[in-house]
Amino acid sequence: MNSATPLLEVEGLRKSFAGVHAVDNMSFSVAHNTITGVIGPNGSGKSTTIDCISGFQRPNAGRIRLDGRDITRLTPQKIAKAGLIRTFQTVHIYEAMTLRENLLQAARPFQASGWVADFLRLPGMRREVDAAMVRADELVDMIGLRKYYDAPTRILSYGQKKLVALAAGLMPKPRLLVLDEPVAGVNPTRIREIEEVILNLHAAGESFIIVEHNVEFVMRLCERVIVFVGGSKMTEGDPKSVQQDARVLEAYLGIPA
Amino acid sequence: MPFLAVTVVAVAAFLPLVVTSSYILSVGVTMFLYLVAAMSLNVIYGLLGLLSLAHIAFWGIGGYFTVIAVMDLGLSFWVALPLAGLFAGVVSIAVGFPALRLNRHSFVVVTLIFALLTTLVARDWVSLTRGPMGIPGIPSPYFFGHEIAGAYSFYYLAGAFALVSLLLLYLFFTSRIADTMRAINQSEDLARSQGVNPTAYKLLAFFLSAFFTAMAGGILAFNQRVIDPLIFDFFFMQAFLIMVIVGGRGSFVGVLVAGAVMSILPEVLRFSVDLRMVLYGLALLAFVTWAPNGLAGWIRERREERLRSELRQ
Ligand SMILES: Nc1ncnc2c1ncn2[C@@H]1O[C@H](COP(=O)(O)OP(=O)(O)O)[C@@H](O)[C@H]1O
Ligand SMILES: [Mg+2]
Repeated sequence: MNSATPLLEVEGLRKSFAGVHAVDNMSFSVAHNTITGVIGPNGSGKSTTIDCISGFQRPNAGRIRLDGRDITRLTPQKIAKAGLIRTFQTVHIYEAMTLRENLLQAARPFQASGWVADFLRLPGMRREVDAAMVRADELVDMIGLRKYYDAPTRILSYGQKKLVALAAGLMPKPRLLVLDEPVAGVNPTRIREIEEVILNLHAAGESFIIVEHNVEFVMRLCERVIVFVGGSKMTEGDPKSVQQDARVLEAYLGIPA
Repeated sequence: MPFLAVTVVAVAAFLPLVVTSSYILSVGVTMFLYLVAAMSLNVIYGLLGLLSLAHIAFWGIGGYFTVIAVMDLGLSFWVALPLAGLFAGVVSIAVGFPALRLNRHSFVVVTLIFALLTTLVARDWVSLTRGPMGIPGIPSPYFFGHEIAGAYSFYYLAGAFALVSLLLLYLFFTSRIADTMRAINQSEDLARSQGVNPTAYKLLAFFLSAFFTAMAGGILAFNQRVIDPLIFDFFFMQAFLIMVIVGGRGSFVGVLVAGAVMSILPEVLRFSVDLRMVLYGLALLAFVTWAPNGLAGWIRERREERLRSELRQ
């Protein structure tokens, strides 16, 4: 809303598992209409942070605000409905459903018609399905899997499944899409195409947080990069300055400063 | 498919005009009631993967509620029957809240405890249920002055009930509501991350399964003309469960076919109740071993294999 309000604001976030601080005193914010990259070594708390932001883990301390609204204690489904959609590091898709069904299902909770309209197949419900179908058609071409549109997603490769998860996340046009390693296992030519697509969506107003190990991917796409080390933010900045930061090289790439 | 369905319904509707054996018609009555009970178990267990052992409780509650509402409260059978469905539905919500708090395993345990408790109530709350002796002399329902008694008229009563219930359930199984339930069953986390509230869907499924089963149990009681705690016998639970597993969890057509075959076949073969249990048990073992996703799952897997090899080329 107010452009001075960050789209996402994380403040003093802490999450411990049996005494181990997975995330500690984590603070960062993300502006509207941006692509923010998050990098950091394995175990630096990236996925745990996403879990906390999206309501899948209850933080031990801290505040999370989406567009100024406090979402800290909301359930995952409420946070999703508020416009923050996340994907999972390990592939989560509906394996027994077709690709088309996966995409339509992802749009379903954002459509107005309820159980009665669904049961009676009221016209409003049909219009919603048609609209979702148009979006799904665009997205399936974008991930280049039209050939598998009506095949159960179980038969896809790991990388292809990652792409299905990405497209499903985009279905409801979320305010903020948080991607946990979206291109891990995706083949390199496809990765370049995905970059294209994300840039196009960004130009159309979509905002992203992208957690990725593929540093080139992050550096090419993101205008800001946040570096996590040991459960908190070590630094952040534009891709160039982060890449040249001696501490980042040491912590993340293991190159002594 | 629609042609086949209409043909089957037409044959079933004209059967009593040709077949006069009341034994065969009574097998039909049983089949109709089992089909509805199995298909409603298929809602909660098939679509959502929640094994509800309370299913047998709702079947019995439906029977007792209808009988008591008619005999003690003086309600018309036609009012008592849907009321029994609603009553069981409300009970299912009350049981569902605690049962769904933890996970799938706790759901099985809580619904089992509930089933055992209802049997106890039926046996020990003598002033209401007359205990183990049961309630004999259940009066015939009347339909516009026409007495419904005997296999012939119960065939039409149970048949009409099954037709309407199964049509509604078919609409349900092919709706987006059922799709969301399948989604929750495959990945609850993903569904939540997409904005779905799983608890609402689980309670709806539990409600529907209780609602239809209770009415089937009500008709069963009036057909038997006596109700006693044997209506809670685990035989019924086992039969419904095996129909769902053999047909293929979550598949409407699969469970319809399996339910019909498993209701009729033991009768045709003149098996005793004990032998029938053995047969059901063997069918279950065979399916769990060779086709764990039932008839429908087996067909789907063959189709998928073909698709896989086509797409590889
Ligand atoms: N559910 C959990 N139980 C216990 N420890 C966990 C759990 N989830 C994450 N951790 C620990 O928290 C730390 C951060 O993990 P994670 O957020 O997955 O890191 P990243 O995504 O950056 O690789 C790791 O040390 C990990 O072992
Ligand atoms: Mg991770």
